[in-house]
Amino acid sequence: MNTQLHHEISSSLTKLNKVILGKEQQVQLAFTSILANGHLLVEDLPGMGKTTLAHALYKVLGLDYNRVQFTSDLLPADLIGASVFNAQTSSFSFHRGPIFSSIFLADELNRATPKAQSALLEAMEEGQVSVDGETHDLPKPFFVIATQNPQSQSGTFPLPESQLDRFLLRISLGYPDPAIEREILTGKKGRASLDQVKQVLSKESLLQIQQLVPEIKVSDTLLDYVQRLIAQTRQDELCHLGLSPRGAIALVKSSQAWALLQGRDYVLPEDVQAVFVSVVGHRIVGKTETQGDQLARHILHSVDSVGGGVAAVA
Amino acid sequence: MFEKGFPQDKLITYSGMLWLLAAQIVVMLPLIFYLPIWLLPILIFSAVWRIRVMQGHNAQPGNLIKIIIGLLGLGALAASGVKVVSLDMMASLLMLGFAYKALEVIQRRDGMVVILTGFVLIGVLFLYNQSMLIALYGVLSMTVLTGALIAIQQSKSYAILPNLRLSSMMLLLCLPLMLLFFFFAPRFEPFWKVPQTSGHAKTGISDSMTPGDIAELSQSDDLAFSVKFEGKRPGQNELYWRGLVLQHFDGKTWTQSDIPNGKGIKIGNDRLSEKQVAESIVKRGDSVEYEVIYEKSGQPWLFALTPVLEVKGRAFLGGDFRIISYRDINEPKLLKLTSYPNSLREVELSDYDRDLALQLPENGNQKSRFLADQLMASSASNQEYINRVLDRFRQDQYFYTLRPPTLGSENSIDDFLIDSKRGFCAHYAGSFVFMMRAAGIPARVVTGYQGGKWNEQGQFLAVHQFDAHAWTEVWLEGQGWVRFDPTAMVAPSRIEQNLETAMESEGSFLEDNFLSMSKIKWLDGIREKIDSAQYAWRRHVLGYDKNAQQNFLKKMFGELSVQKIGLIVGGLFAGIILLWVMFLGLARKRETEAEEHQLYRRFCDLMAKKGVTRDISQTPETFRRFAMQELPDLAGEINHFSQAYSSVCYDPSIQSKHQSYIDDMKSLLKKLNR
Repeated sequence: MNTQLHHEISSSLTKLNKVILGKEQQVQLAFTSILANGHLLVEDLPGMGKTTLAHALYKVLGLDYNRVQFTSDLLPADLIGASVFNAQTSSFSFHRGPIFSSIFLADELNRATPKAQSALLEAMEEGQVSVDGETHDLPKPFFVIATQNPQSQSGTFPLPESQLDRFLLRISLGYPDPAIEREILTGKKGRASLDQVKQVLSKESLLQIQQLVPEIKVSDTLLDYVQRLIAQTRQDELCHLGLSPRGAIALVKSSQAWALLQGRDYVLPEDVQAVFVSVVGHRIVGKTETQGDQLARHILHSVDSVGGGVAAVA
Repeated sequence: MFEKGFPQDKLITYSGMLWLLAAQIVVMLPLIFYLPIWLLPILIFSAVWRIRVMQGHNAQPGNLIKIIIGLLGLGALAASGVKVVSLDMMASLLMLGFAYKALEVIQRRDGMVVILTGFVLIGVLFLYNQSMLIALYGVLSMTVLTGALIAIQQSKSYAILPNLRLSSMMLLLCLPLMLLFFFFAPRFEPFWKVPQTSGHAKTGISDSMTPGDIAELSQSDDLAFSVKFEGKRPGQNELYWRGLVLQHFDGKTWTQSDIPNGKGIKIGNDRLSEKQVAESIVKRGDSVEYEVIYEKSGQPWLFALTPVLEVKGRAFLGGDFRIISYRDINEPKLLKLTSYPNSLREVELSDYDRDLALQLPENGNQKSRFLADQLMASSASNQEYINRVLDRFRQDQYFYTLRPPTLGSENSIDDFLIDSKRGFCAHYAGSFVFMMRAAGIPARVVTGYQGGKWNEQGQFLAVHQFDAHAWTEVWLEGQGWVRFDPTAMVAPSRIEQNLETAMESEGSFLEDNFLSMSKIKWLDGIREKIDSAQYAWRRHVLGYDKNAQQNFLKKMFGELSVQKIGLIVGGLFAGIILLWVMFLGLARKRETEAEEHQLYRRFCDLMAKKGVTRDISQTPETFRRFAMQELPDLAGEINHFSQAYSSVCYDPSIQSKHQSYIDDMKSLLKKLNR
């Protein structure tokens, strides 16, 4: 791979890690999501740094950025925009909504009504929006970071599985380590350094990297492993809903992006394992109350990571 | 919820703890029927405490608290009246430890202690009960216990069913081994006598008779023994299962003459040797051959059709034609007997025996003695006198009842014979012998069982405790001892049919035994089937003793020698192992994997032998680092091998050099193997 590109990637990560302290894994996953041209769902309690992550990302990438706080009275037009009558030209002209940006932060997605949610999710899937019969392309790259509070909180509309599927990865930041938290409390690091973040990766480089991801090689043995994992999600006794083919594609794509992030041009089982929980956690449903992430971890532990054959051996 | 100071991967998980608790309850449940019942709550208490600790509600008890509750348990055990040197005490102590251990089960090895103790307790249960049902329960306990053994080794929780399935599978695999042990393990006599408790251990007929005892027995529907006849079955009224001979009468209680102190029997048998006993019988008529399985009674007395001439099994012919076991019967006992019911017994009566058979207390029961003198005076012969006494029972207003009035202690014979005239077999037999002796005719009381219930399904006769009976023997010139049953005069249906029929109008059959299933008529069909299955269990499984084993092995393999047995057992053992290897090997199906994977598996097996085990989710890279760190001496080889494998599997750019990588792996594997 181009050493220049790789240098840009690693210095981007370094910058991000200076802002989001002690969360290297999550930052890498977020970056993986961008490289794989997928959308990211950040699920966490308020105040864990979800928004900071989004801020840092758009600054590092130097892309235009819009943010919408989702509330229960949000309408699709508030996101997409609307046709407005122009008296001077006696015609309707389309006023673009906040969604027309390269990085779109949908804050607290699950507070909006399903109607507003699905407007966003449609745009994410199609890469374009249609208003009054006219199609408007969204910018490229187009990247949505949605944040969500855990669903047990009141006043939320949980996203159904079919819609969660649109997000390539789901991560959660979690509480920081005590030592890291100390650094944050002193106020000199973390969010405070957000202003000093400068663009590292150009838009052109990003598009170039995104095209490299599918080139990352995936061997037969690795596909055997991926298929064993998928089979396990479909036959495990704790699993109610297994991984869909779309989910399987997402798993391979994310593994490739992760491998690329590590500077490798082929995928290893480690890459699959690194992204597995984030790819699969929100796409499978357990028979009991078990959380998807926990279930995904259980599946990861029950499948042999080496060897041939696609049948899962429990 | 995490314990400090213990390595995390060696701790028992929450679900493992629940498994353990379930297994403990299953194991303890049947034992509390024989041991103090509060042992179970102790287990629950300990386990709940432990579970609350795991949930973070309570603190783990300190040593002081442990000592205090331990002492409390010991105190309770002492207070509950369990005999100090007894099986009960040993079992109770084990149970107490078992129950308390739940409190400090933290690591896997604590769990192992509990589980191994559990296996011992399953064995202990068989000291108390060996029925088929208990055996089935034992299998269930083993399955659950093995399930718990699996569960405590797991670092994650799995559903219940897969664990049970796995443990059943493991037990099933062990089944051939169990059968091998059952058929071939040498049967030893017990090395020591297990101290039984005196209280509830003895059942059945006791070695003395005070009118009242047998009425108690008649309230029990426990099985006394079961009989399988070879050839024709004697008629119901001929089935006198003779057990004890009660010679001595003190005015109230009849006892055996050769145990004046009641301190166990004299095995040597002073008066007559076994040979002499056999010689004093004049063999007459046809033989009756039969097989008896005696139930546990805690006593040595055996019951048979008299006189028995041949005994196959661990028992001897005692004086007075009794059959006596060498040891108290604490587990079902099988005997093969041959009787000649029409034989004459002791045609010549020694003076000593005559004196024994004429003994009466000096005083008391004057009315009865007077009655005897009167009847004797008007009788021409002994035979006529006997008939007159029997006629009196038949014709006077005598009643057969299980609810007799209480008799005085001074003149109990008078009270019954002259006044109340209400009683059951013990009253009739006792007073009949008294009348004989008062008239100078040698006579004695005999106790045992009469009749039995024929099981058509299993073709055997079941004799229950309620079949207990007392009758008499009178010595007649030229005929020896002749059986007389005065009860038959009063209640012929007791002898012709059974106690239940005889008591139909009174309604006293098993009246105190509310739980008895024997009274429920419509269950008879099922009961017969169950009884028959249990008979087969006792006969073929419990009855598989030293003799049966020798016969069986001889039938199967011809004449036996140590070498031959060794060869057979060794061969079967090898066969079983082969079976396991085939079964477990086939289940894996690794042959289909590509060569590099097979090599890697061999590498992992090799590492496991050196103590570094790969978790299946560990990738070659993670395992490489782990193994290199654990085995620094082999780090170079491990590194090369893993890298080669990784490249072959995942790096498409080396495909042209595929074979050379595989060759490298092979040679590295050889090096590692050295």
